[in-house]
Amino acid sequence: MGQNQIRNFCIIAHIDHGKSTLADRLLEQTGTILKRAMQKQVLDQMELERERGITIKAKAVRMPWLAPDGKVYQLNLIDTPGHVDFTYEVSRSLTAVEGALLVVDASQGIQAQTLANAYAALEHNLYLIPVINKIDLTNARTEEVSREIESVFGFNREEIICISAKEGKGTDKILNAIIRHIPPPAGSKNSPLKALIFDSKYDSYKGVIAFIRVIDGVIKNGENLRLMSNDIIFESLEIGIFSPEMDALTSLQAGEVGYVATGLKNVTDCHVGDTITTVINPAFQPLSGYREAKPMVFAGLYPIESNEYPALRDALDKLKLSDASISYEPESSTALGFGFRCKFLGLLHMDIVQERLEREYGLRLLVTAPNVAYKVIKRDGSTILVDNPAKLPPPQEISEMQEPWLSATIITPDRYIGPVMELLSQYRGRFERLDYLSGNGETEASFSWKQVSVKFTLSMGMLLANFYDQLKSATQGYASLDYTPSGYQTGHLVKLDILVNGQQVDALSRIVPSGIASSEGRILVDKLRALIPRQLFDVAIQAAVGGKVIARETVKALRKNVLAKCYGGDVSRKRKLLEKQAEGKKRLKRIGQVEIPQEAFMAVLKKNNA
Amino acid sequence: MNPVALSLYLHFPFCLSKCSYCNFNSYAGMERLIPDYLGAMEKEILLWKMFAREYSSQSSFHEEFQVETVYFGGGTPSLLQPEQIAYVIERCRAFPFAVAPEITLEANPGTVQEKFFARIRRAGVNRLSLGAQSFNDGCLKLLGRIHSANEAREAFLCARKAGFDNINMDLIYALPGQTMPCWQNTLEEALRLHPEHLSLYSLTLEEGTPLAGWVKAGLLPLPDGDLAADMYLLAEEILDREGYSHYEISNWAVPGKECRHNLAYWKNTSYLGVGAGAHSFLFGHRFAGVSSPQEYVEKLSALERLPPSFLEVGGEKSHLDFVEGADVEREMSDTVIMGLRLQEGIDLASFAGRFQRELLPAYRQEIEELVELGLLDADEKGIRLSGRGKLLGNEVFMRFLPPNSTGSALS
Ligand SMILES: Nc1nc2c(ncn2[C@@H]2O[C@H](COP(=O)(O)OP(=O)(O)O)[C@@H](O)[C@H]2O)c(=O)[nH]1
Ligand code: SF4
Repeated sequence: MGQNQIRNFCIIAHIDHGKSTLADRLLEQTGTILKRAMQKQVLDQMELERERGITIKAKAVRMPWLAPDGKVYQLNLIDTPGHVDFTYEVSRSLTAVEGALLVVDASQGIQAQTLANAYAALEHNLYLIPVINKIDLTNARTEEVSREIESVFGFNREEIICISAKEGKGTDKILNAIIRHIPPPAGSKNSPLKALIFDSKYDSYKGVIAFIRVIDGVIKNGENLRLMSNDIIFESLEIGIFSPEMDALTSLQAGEVGYVATGLKNVTDCHVGDTITTVINPAFQPLSGYREAKPMVFAGLYPIESNEYPALRDALDKLKLSDASISYEPESSTALGFGFRCKFLGLLHMDIVQERLEREYGLRLLVTAPNVAYKVIKRDGSTILVDNPAKLPPPQEISEMQEPWLSATIITPDRYIGPVMELLSQYRGRFERLDYLSGNGETEASFSWKQVSVKFTLSMGMLLANFYDQLKSATQGYASLDYTPSGYQTGHLVKLDILVNGQQVDALSRIVPSGIASSEGRILVDKLRALIPRQLFDVAIQAAVGGKVIARETVKALRKNVLAKCYGGDVSRKRKLLEKQAEGKKRLKRIGQVEIPQEAFMAVLKKNNA
Repeated sequence: MNPVALSLYLHFPFCLSKCSYCNFNSYAGMERLIPDYLGAMEKEILLWKMFAREYSSQSSFHEEFQVETVYFGGGTPSLLQPEQIAYVIERCRAFPFAVAPEITLEANPGTVQEKFFARIRRAGVNRLSLGAQSFNDGCLKLLGRIHSANEAREAFLCARKAGFDNINMDLIYALPGQTMPCWQNTLEEALRLHPEHLSLYSLTLEEGTPLAGWVKAGLLPLPDGDLAADMYLLAEEILDREGYSHYEISNWAVPGKECRHNLAYWKNTSYLGVGAGAHSFLFGHRFAGVSSPQEYVEKLSALERLPPSFLEVGGEKSHLDFVEGADVEREMSDTVIMGLRLQEGIDLASFAGRFQRELLPAYRQEIEELVELGLLDADEKGIRLSGRGKLLGNEVFMRFLPPNSTGSALS
């Protein structure tokens, strides 16, 4: 089959707009999967992904299709993650294709990730096919939504394909559009091999399996290959395609999408975005755009049962096999015992890791408040990166602190502009501009439903303080959010410490803007006062910044704890009651003399203080 | 051979109706079983008598018991006829009685008449424990008691008239919604009657009781621990002024009228419990009978004798469902924990005499810490709870638990 009969594409959509459902329809329609054998939403393979409806990692599938022109085409669908945490992965998937289906929900219209993904696709010069999905819904606003698409992306009404993926209506038009409009891959099979790794997974038999798009040349079974970023050499143990199960072939050539089994034992050796070439006849230059995945969010992970520490370590080691983007190192805390400081791509990534550890490995975890990495310029002129509040140098050594900022977009129905602005000022965001998606003119006055995009900047630290949940509740779930890092900015930041009877509770220290330190301190101290059980002496709970106390509460000493009655000589019952109390005490963590239940830390660390 | 003091506890698990806070082993509407139950008790006393003789001859325990105290507890033993009570006391004489044994009967003010008191006194009962609980009718209703404040008062006066000169009154405080003045009033009403002994219990919400259910459902406020502490301190102050000695955490007495039976528990000496669910401490073992009165009656009617291995084995036929073997560590711990409830605390010399071990080295760290926390007073004679320690007894006791102790429940 000639390169001219290959079409590589992906589907980009805001979460829940129907990407997976549409993919299923395409698989059925091309006969790649028989309807009967069709497991719902084949491409989302992880249980967690299915439950959350998020595609976490890109997958690929080849669909042969006999088009009306009588030719058989090879359609390669690459699934992309839809969440900001995985922007880099998205961009690598976009590099592997020539076109994209831009799917928009007919009831919700354009959302933040629709925009973000579409812009990313345009940056990669992809041909976009606009699709409005869910037109079967009674609250579909197909008319308004196509106006938005026309106005935001400059499409003509005729180019927009309206479908119901759920009912399989209109999806045949999509296949035709793909063949007609998306260009076949360029590249030359006679050039030296350049294959882009756009994803990888670990297989205990075949080692790391790299998902690849061959840009130039041919990749063959049994050949010696080289990873261009780190010069690791391996033999291709197996070459093949996903259809959607793994089907071995002898080779893949320029334009094709498939996999190569590397035999490598470590996913971290096989970076997304890296280029594979041959040892014998290597390409000169790797493909551009490769970079290391950059962690943005940091948190401590501790087992709730301290004896589960080795189990947590093993689980993280195993998780790392399939998720190269997570990294961790041991850390210990007087309050929480032994645990790990972990680096995540973002908040969702952190949630996913926590959930996988709990679900797949049966661990119960305590996660400290997440934080960003701060740039600390010291008085001696050196600059260090601090990703753990406990490691912040003392204030007298710091000359300046910088924190990462984001440039962000919120898309919301216009009736929530007020609450959104309110929220922005509460979170110290800086407003930049507001646009109506369907054009700023008053001609659309006839539409009762209008969406706006609000552009602003926000410090990443503030985002971590529960911004997204607050946004959702301020807009009854209608607003969507997308953001990209926009560099470091100087901030007035201080370290807020919590002291219990004069002893610092390391796990509760956090870095906050100085302007909110005292309100934040008060919230924490109040919470702790309610959560720390009364002891045999008064317990002082203090919030302090640089040694200066800014909030204080006291837990009064316990006054009464004694069994009244004798129960007709039932001494063993009495003993058992005492044993139960003593047992409960054993599980308490000690901060100095003060005994604090694990639950108190969990409740304080739960992310609900903005 | 010197006789060893023995206390007898006789359990009557029958009540007219169940009180809202009660999780004792007691049942309403089972009165029909009383005659059979008394028969079973009679038999149990005899079996233990035979057992004690046999066990002493076959083990290192060479003990001749002498009954110092008898206690009719419940349930509501005052539901029995005076003749039945007389009969049971006679049966207890299977064990020789000391010269002046203390014989107590728990009486529910809602079940007694003047004649009753005179007749049980003649039968040998010389101490009464009156379950007054409160002198506020609202509180009594809440507790589900079957009597009014007035009836409690009258019962007390009848008992006095019948010649009882050693009467205890039980009172409960820290009820949901109870105020300080309400509690003070109950105390003053009780004192007006000049009882020889007062037991004051802070209400414990026992899981599964209606009262606990109401609190859990939010129908009643949760009793406040600090208020309970204040109520306790108030009682301490008033009773001290009235000349009572505060001889145990929850007990006050006119000097010389301390309850000898309960002292046996606190001093961790031997006692035999007879009846459904009654607890014993005998030959170093702790054990208890099955709690269901029906099952108790059935088990006993099938029992011919208690083999000497009985305490170790329990077994299918046994009427016991809980046995804890002798264990010196645990006995030491129990002795400290129970003994610390007493004002006099633990006497170092008698502890050493009993266990051939010194108390201080065995618990040095614990004692030092507790003294520092102000919960324990220690001197060359012994250790005892401080004023504050009385309210925080559990915090003290906990530190004297044996390293690892679990009772074995027999199937
Ligand atoms: N009514 C209707 N529901 C749809 C349609 N397409 C998808 N859905 C539903 O929308 C939800 C999200 O779809 P999914 O394919 O998982 O979205 P994804 O997150 O973009 O992969 C699911 O409950 C689908 O059943 C459609 O055409 N009509
Ligand atoms: S009278 Fe005593 S034993 Fe009977 S139900 Fe009331 S509290 Fe319980």
